[in-house]
Amino acid sequence: MANERTAGPATALIPGEQPASSCLVMTGTSGYSYLEWVDSGFYPPGTRSAAMLEFYGRSFSVVELNYTWYQMARSDVLTRMLAAAPAHIIFAAKLTRTVTHEREEDWREQVQRYRQGISALGKRLAAILVQLPPDFDRTVSNRRFLAELLDYLQGMPVAVEFRHASWAVDTVFSELERRQITLVSVDEPDLPGLFPRLDVVTNPALFYVRFHGRNAKGWKHGNMQKKFDYDYSEQELHQWCEHELGPLSSRASRGIIFFNNHVRAQAPRNALLLNSLIGKKAARS
Amino acid sequence: MNHRRFILHLNVADFAVAVERVVDLSLRDKPVIVAPLQAARAAVYDMSEEAYRAGVRKGMLLTRATRICRTARVLPPRFDLYRKAMGSFVNEARGYSPVLEHGVEDGHLYLDITGTHRLFGTPPDVGWRLHRQIRSKLEIDPIWSLAGSKLVSKIGSRLVKPVGEYIVADGEEQRFLAPLPLHLLPGLSSGERQRLGQFNIGRIGELAALSRMQLEGVFGRRGEALFELSRGIDDSAVRPEEERPPRVVREHIFSDDCADRTVLKGVVGALAAQLGMELRATRRQARRVGLQLDYTDGTTVSRQASVRKGVADDDSLQRLALTALERSLTRRTRVRSCRLIGDRLHGRSPQLNLFAAPATGRKKEQLLAAMDRIRQRFGREAIRMGSHPVLH
Repeated sequence: MANERTAGPATALIPGEQPASSCLVMTGTSGYSYLEWVDSGFYPPGTRSAAMLEFYGRSFSVVELNYTWYQMARSDVLTRMLAAAPAHIIFAAKLTRTVTHEREEDWREQVQRYRQGISALGKRLAAILVQLPPDFDRTVSNRRFLAELLDYLQGMPVAVEFRHASWAVDTVFSELERRQITLVSVDEPDLPGLFPRLDVVTNPALFYVRFHGRNAKGWKHGNMQKKFDYDYSEQELHQWCEHELGPLSSRASRGIIFFNNHVRAQAPRNALLLNSLIGKKAARS
Repeated sequence: MNHRRFILHLNVADFAVAVERVVDLSLRDKPVIVAPLQAARAAVYDMSEEAYRAGVRKGMLLTRATRICRTARVLPPRFDLYRKAMGSFVNEARGYSPVLEHGVEDGHLYLDITGTHRLFGTPPDVGWRLHRQIRSKLEIDPIWSLAGSKLVSKIGSRLVKPVGEYIVADGEEQRFLAPLPLHLLPGLSSGERQRLGQFNIGRIGELAALSRMQLEGVFGRRGEALFELSRGIDDSAVRPEEERPPRVVREHIFSDDCADRTVLKGVVGALAAQLGMELRATRRQARRVGLQLDYTDGTTVSRQASVRKGVADDDSLQRLALTALERSLTRRTRVRSCRLIGDRLHGRSPQLNLFAAPATGRKKEQLLAAMDRIRQRFGREAIRMGSHPVLH
């Protein structure tokens, strides 16, 4: 994991009680390659997918790679992406769906292949995001699977995102803490059965937040254009800064925050707004 | 304006077997061969991955295939069923884009999803969703591949066959193609591959390293096409059915497979007459007639004959059709069905001849017009040439 604490775009250093305990908070978005963001003005007109990361780097220092969820991470592709990416950008990468959502029999071999592929990111890999599906509840077999999966990912920076509320128990948090694995804090609609908004930190090296939007009406819709269509207001983000950010940043040395509400480029707009609010908060403290 | 296209290629590997497995669950995970059973020298029409791994190949003699893979279940092809399944497959995809190109019963489908991102989300997500939808509704598991052109997306599918997905990012095309073997490049003939082999060129990247002039020096006019193929350059559009060049098709399936040339000539002549009637009714003319023969062993042979000036009269069409037949009849195997295709169509000129047509030509025209009127009134088989058999 990158250890540089130099401030790139959309980063803020939140001082702790002691000088050594400050927390570097970086905001970014889940994915960067959206043609919609050209239409919405975040990218200049005519920007092709291949040039988007360069433009993205002018605003942000961290990005979550989505494509590794759709297909296996391949080192040759990532090496080329890295060569073309701005030098200050670090990455979080989703674990492939054939391990988490559509688990195949050979998932163990797939994790090995993923590890090999993702290793191309080297020290610029901030975390592997293990996103678990909404129906993945806390049963014995699922607990066994998760434990084995985390064993297979040992030695890598890992963050786990639960979507089912049954995982919100202390024993789970303490096991993640024991393994130095980050529990992903989620901001999503307040609907029954969803994993709750928590400020639990299980890994002092990293806290990880994902803003999915609070579109309760579109949440169950299969179309991601409906599900992630939400624009956070300044007041909502301000409240989050005041109530959630403090407990998270005081217990970790680094934090990464991603906005997943990509529709009509709301994600980068909200990420920049949150970053400015964090900056103001940091200045105040 | 963003010029990047997003072409999704879906391919159900071993389509006929995949469909048979939906119908009969006991065929799953077992070697399956689809081939006409009653033919003397039947050839393999399709086979499952298990049979492929055992060494069975399309077009291989069935007797040899069953020797290689003794445990295989052999099924007769059911083309109607495959066509129906293909229809359902296409219908699922139609919900994501109207720009869609597909074969008849081959399990291949191109979908141009450029510009649909505001409606359906990112292109990889569309690919994943469509795949999931097809798998859950039709219980078949297509490969899907996403790229900026039909060429590259098809190569992506070939790479992951029999299952999987491949996404080729914008600007990655040449680097993606470079390490791949030449046989994955669509449109490269085996002769061209052999010729390249003589130059010790076995990978697409090695071919791409050659200049236009070098390629034209060896392959003549094909050099330009090879130059573009090797670089993944392909601007060809996904062509929906309604945008494809118009054509008129007539087909006959023999109740008993036939190897008698006289009968074949008669049938092809009758099909040419039907073609002519359709062309005259729509005031069009064809400049090319193609004939597709499906042999009893599963092999298909297609040949064409063309003329400079469009024709719509039975005599001219029959001459073209019989020329195509002569070119097609290269084998002694019996024929199961034949399909006559009239294309390169254009409207019949309303311009009258400056000089009067010869009397015989005028008489023939009048005869055809009279026959057309009789057929329109009393049915297609109400009147026919003595040499033409009745087609059901």
